Amino acid sequence: MAAKPIRNYIPPALIALNTLLVAENWYLRPQSAGAWFVVLLLLIGMTLALVLVSREPKEEAARRDTGGSVRSGIVTAGLILVISLGAKLAVALGAVHYGDIALRATMAIVGAFLAVTGNAIPKTLTPLAALHCDPAKVQAVQRLAGWIWALAGLAVAIAWLTLPINLAEAMSFLLLPSAILVTVGQAVWLRRAKPSAL
Amino acid sequence: MNSVFKALSDPTRRRVLQLLRKRPMSAGELSDHFAVSKPTMSAHFSVLQNAGLIEAEKNGRTIVYRLKMSVLEETLLAFAQTVGWDMKAQGGARRAALKSGTRLRPLKQEG
Repeated sequence: MAAKPIRNYIPPALIALNTLLVAENWYLRPQSAGAWFVVLLLLIGMTLALVLVSREPKEEAARRDTGGSVRSGIVTAGLILVISLGAKLAVALGAVHYGDIALRATMAIVGAFLAVTGNAIPKTLTPLAALHCDPAKVQAVQRLAGWIWALAGLAVAIAWLTLPINLAEAMSFLLLPSAILVTVGQAVWLRRAKPSAL
Repeated sequence: MNSVFKALSDPTRRRVLQLLRKRPMSAGELSDHFAVSKPTMSAHFSVLQNAGLIEAEKNGRTIVYRLKMSVLEETLLAFAQTVGWDMKAQGGARRAALKSGTRLRPLKQEG
């Protein structure tokens, strides 16, 4: 029997590590039981998704696609949780004296995640035959969306790492809804545009 | 990443990317912008494709090239354009031409 690649062990390892961190946090700060319970439910959901993916029928190509994207989603979410739960635990144990470090770390990671996702938007291409709009316009929209999300994500991450909390909050509330509005506006404009042959 | 730097180090390939920024184009349309033989152009296209900066798609009897650059790669392209990574460009194009067995002609000046 062939050995499984090491990347297959990363999602369950992250789930296990997060479970330990939640248990430790719950023990040290029982007054926030509601929050820890929600995180625990999220971890159970991630475990269920992982089990479902590994039990899928062996239609190789389809399975690899679904399994790969579910696993990478679990790894991303798991890393975000590990950092924020780790920071909370460090504060609770008195190892770190900045009370807002968990919030700052979580928001900076969310910003970095948005920047990385935005960076990849122009690289996801739909086959020309499947497009119902002008390919030039689709490309323009994807490029602009990529730039908007990459820059907004980067700005949010930097703001949460450097600015005072209230300023960082204000910046996030200004940047992220604006990025959503512009992206949705572009999609509506693209839908209204008449299709044209290449 | 090395293949991306290699692809961006040639002015012809950078110009191809700039043209594709406007819209997807067929191989013929792109070649019309350059005074370079078709095999040399195909060598340039394959370098760009191997770097994952463009994608080729068959549309009937023509091959349509589309831009496939991430935001970071576009930033690198703009940087290369500004700084002018031309050091190995002539050598790179010459190697591409040698591979395809054609002789290089000087580039057409574009407005």
